Amino acid sequence: MVTPTEKSEEWAAAESTDYGHLAALFAELVELNPDSPRRDQLRDRLVTAHLPLAHHIARRFSHRGEPRDDLEQVASVGLIHAVDRFEPERGSDFLSFAVPTITGEVRRYFRDHAWAMRVPRRLKDLHVAIGSAMSVLSQQHGRAPTASELAEYLNLPREQVLEGLEAAAGYRTSSLDSLLDADGAGTLLEEIVGTADAELGRVEYRTTLAPLLDRLPERECAILKLRFFAGLTQSEIAQQIGLSQMHVSRLLSRTLARLREQLRSES
Amino acid sequence: MAVMGSGGQAGTSTPGDGQRQNRRRTVVMQVTAEASELPPLRLVAADLAARADFDLDTVEDLRLAVDEAAAELVGVAAADAVLTCTLWLDVAQMEVTVSVPAKPGARVRQNSFGWRVLTTLVDEVRVTGEADSGSSVVSITLVKRCHDETVAQSW
Repeated sequence: MVTPTEKSEEWAAAESTDYGHLAALFAELVELNPDSPRRDQLRDRLVTAHLPLAHHIARRFSHRGEPRDDLEQVASVGLIHAVDRFEPERGSDFLSFAVPTITGEVRRYFRDHAWAMRVPRRLKDLHVAIGSAMSVLSQQHGRAPTASELAEYLNLPREQVLEGLEAAAGYRTSSLDSLLDADGAGTLLEEIVGTADAELGRVEYRTTLAPLLDRLPERECAILKLRFFAGLTQSEIAQQIGLSQMHVSRLLSRTLARLREQLRSES
Repeated sequence: MAVMGSGGQAGTSTPGDGQRQNRRRTVVMQVTAEASELPPLRLVAADLAARADFDLDTVEDLRLAVDEAAAELVGVAAADAVLTCTLWLDVAQMEVTVSVPAKPGARVRQNSFGWRVLTTLVDEVRVTGEADSGSSVVSITLVKRCHDETVAQSW
């Protein structure tokens, strides 16, 4: 699944790097005998030369909370598949084949591997459905929905929704449907976090807390301040920042645990 | 180690839909007072709240609050102590008491960031049995109300 905007972004990136000269190598590769030692050489060269493309695609998923190295590795595996499966004689060029192949590999990774706990596929799909239903219903009601409201909206048994919510708690950091425009969120955060900072002074040992907050990733720090110093609810934060409420919840819980550990080790 | 029990206050089985009025559900859990043992506590608290149709912001606040309170008590717990977490679910609120036998002189600091987190997440927080009052068991009690009237009425 490649939406038009994603595609144009990839093309812009691809155009800024010149991969044109590699087309001849693909032509050579298909002509070679499967046992030829030259084959491995060519394959290596093609993969290495296209790595910037794989890394660029990996970066687009970097805000979902998975380590960057892991994402780049998964994207590189996608690139290797793309090089192996590409058939130049079909007439299309490599990039238009590679971009969806690599993106697909990263998406599959999120679906199958980015869960801290093993969760059946059915529940993962349900997790996605619940995620989108939550944002729709939160906007409609001006507050987070209840399990019953979700069940009614999704036309599912309430028990199944509750099961899905439990499964969501097994997902480490993020929700599958929460692609976020990092630049847009940055400006918004600066605007709203200012008011939260004033409140910070009231915590007595801010001298201990402040340096720890400085070490948090910018977004985690912003979410923490919005919840505990500006008093926004999780769904309000979700809306402001453009994440799902489940994602905000995950990040908050992880950040609090991390702060607790650091505060304890310093005291 | 983990022990868990539950039941309605009247001592009968869990009331089904439609006959929940005036019922108070109780769940009691015990775990070793160690950080790694806390996940079941927050899981049960969140699940119970979601089943009672608290809105999901409230559910998530409870999840974080139970975690925070229990973690705070793990910090003051005596060696090999067992932490007890009791949840009472009422028509429109959940009350949670977490308690643990504490090290001599240990106290729950109420000027800490953790305290700030707790007071933000729930409607009421109280600490009972501080060491200077002569008790060796320290408890944190949290009350989280379900703010949506329509949900409370659906009970």
